[in-house]
Amino acid sequence: MNLFVPRILGLCAFGILSVFFLLPLAYMVVVSFYKADPMAFYQVAFTFENYQKYFSGFYLNVTLRTLWSTAVSAVIVVSLAFTAMLSIVELSRKWQLFWVILLLSMMCLSEVIVGFAWLILLSESAGIPRLLGALGIWDDPRSLSPSFGAMMIGLVTLGFSVVSLVLYPQIAGRDKSVEEAARTLGTPPYLVPLYVTLPIFMQTLIALTLTMFVYLLGVFVMPVMLGRPSDWTMTVMISDKALGDANLPLGAALAVVMLIITGALLLLSLYVSRKRRV
Amino acid sequence: MYKTMKAVGFATVLFAGATTANAAESITVSVWGGFFEETLAAEIYPGFTEKTGIEVKSIAQPEDSTWMTQLMAAARAKKAPADLSLVADEVLIRGKNAGLWAQLDPDNLADTKALKEGYVKIDDDNKAYAVGALAFYTTLVTNTDYSKDAPASWADLWEDKWDNKLGIVTTPNSGLLEATAKTFFGGYEIMQTREGLEKVIAKIAELKPQVSLWYRDEGQFQQGLEAGELNAGLYYHDVAMLSIWDGKPIASNFPKEGGILSNAYWVVPRDSKKISATEKFVSYMSLPETQALMARKLGIFPIVPRDSMDLTDDEFSAVGSEIEAVRVQTEIHLREGDWLESKYQEMIAQ
Repeated sequence: MNLFVPRILGLCAFGILSVFFLLPLAYMVVVSFYKADPMAFYQVAFTFENYQKYFSGFYLNVTLRTLWSTAVSAVIVVSLAFTAMLSIVELSRKWQLFWVILLLSMMCLSEVIVGFAWLILLSESAGIPRLLGALGIWDDPRSLSPSFGAMMIGLVTLGFSVVSLVLYPQIAGRDKSVEEAARTLGTPPYLVPLYVTLPIFMQTLIALTLTMFVYLLGVFVMPVMLGRPSDWTMTVMISDKALGDANLPLGAALAVVMLIITGALLLLSLYVSRKRRV
Repeated sequence: MYKTMKAVGFATVLFAGATTANAAESITVSVWGGFFEETLAAEIYPGFTEKTGIEVKSIAQPEDSTWMTQLMAAARAKKAPADLSLVADEVLIRGKNAGLWAQLDPDNLADTKALKEGYVKIDDDNKAYAVGALAFYTTLVTNTDYSKDAPASWADLWEDKWDNKLGIVTTPNSGLLEATAKTFFGGYEIMQTREGLEKVIAKIAELKPQVSLWYRDEGQFQQGLEAGELNAGLYYHDVAMLSIWDGKPIASNFPKEGGILSNAYWVVPRDSKKISATEKFVSYMSLPETQALMARKLGIFPIVPRDSMDLTDDEFSAVGSEIEAVRVQTEIHLREGDWLESKYQEMIAQ
């Protein structure tokens, strides 16, 4: 009797998950085996053609660079947020509040707004290059986007506030006695964060990096707006195929492969990090 | 005087609205979003409502293939997201083969006789599945602050004189393939084989070092061009003209090989319940007066014979050119579909 309500709630959650996630996912897997029809839409069939295209070289290449740029940006986001938070929690209550509110308001901005803001900031007619030109630091100011760096800046901006806010309560409420002990025992103060604080938070940071990796993997706007075509990620290719060319089967197949690769990578890194802890 | 006319027009629209609210007849028309959709809704549709009493609800639709994907999903649910929709060649044909379009009765489309030959698409049952709406040019658009001289040929794009600030469309059906074939390979013949297409794509790849923006969203190109981030590129003539009329430092140039001319058609999604009203709508949009009005207000190229309209020489030359146009070879794009799209995408993104 006591378990009745939790069971019903659990069932509801499962129902919602099935209807809005599992069913579309299953449909995507089914469509990925259909045959694309360039003269119409697609034909119901069972073919591995779409998967063969994935392994033809080009998409493998794009996958590798997607994983690379996403992993690098996830690591940058977490390291930046971690160091920033370590300094912010040392500030007075008033300034801490200021930063929390600032970070919260950053989270309110949509991807498109953030991307557009960087597009303007990096443009030669209105942004940083123009400022550097006016100050005489840069003789021939050029637009800094689209470029790999611009795309990374966009991705890092997106993830920074989320990670910072997750880390804030943990870092602010940490037990400082361990660090004090290390200092008393002779560790140089500037090495304490590296030798003591970082190892304490290692598990959290790894988990956050993985979360960010998955989150940034699906970002569409930043690569398209701020990156060059040679920086475009699989997300862009998938939407190009599925929507731009109305080739749903190939788009679905690419998405399925990406899903498998991401899942495998996550499992692998979880396994590795758990092993290290034991 | 103009103000009074506007007021009278507005009152008529209101009045028409009031009467049709009783008759409860209205159609939903979707066209490509942005200024284009806004202008059609503000300048063109009211005349139709005034004439027929049918209200027009205007909605914006996304880029072509995306819209087709949505129409397809809607058709599976037996729904029509709009009663009328504007589509270009490729989607027209793919949608026809997939059975997405409703059939209209040619007997109710007498006014479409005003259109040039071939713009009413008739199927095997002798029914119309699409009616020409308008044509639009894609030209070589330049920033006049950077370069005063109008480029004479598409070949100018390949010259190293744009300060690495070109903006080019990412999709292979922009017409650049055809313009390249016509300019460097003596015509579209080379596009018949895959080897030939690869040669044309390789020629376009030579542009890569100069291209700073490969765009899919026309807004991004326009902003870049107006801000001086881009010096030249491929762009829609009609939207460029609107910017020019607005005083922006832009020129839309017709190279000697011709501008790229594309057609847009009205189609009725299969599950629309308002066939008779849509027949009246396409008839109205085919009238030479409507076509002339669209040329003046939207900068599009009309698809009725020149002498049936009252456009002046200046007005006519503002929306098009006498040079034989470059035509997108839609059959080749459909035949080579995925192969061509992948080759093109690889060329850009490699």
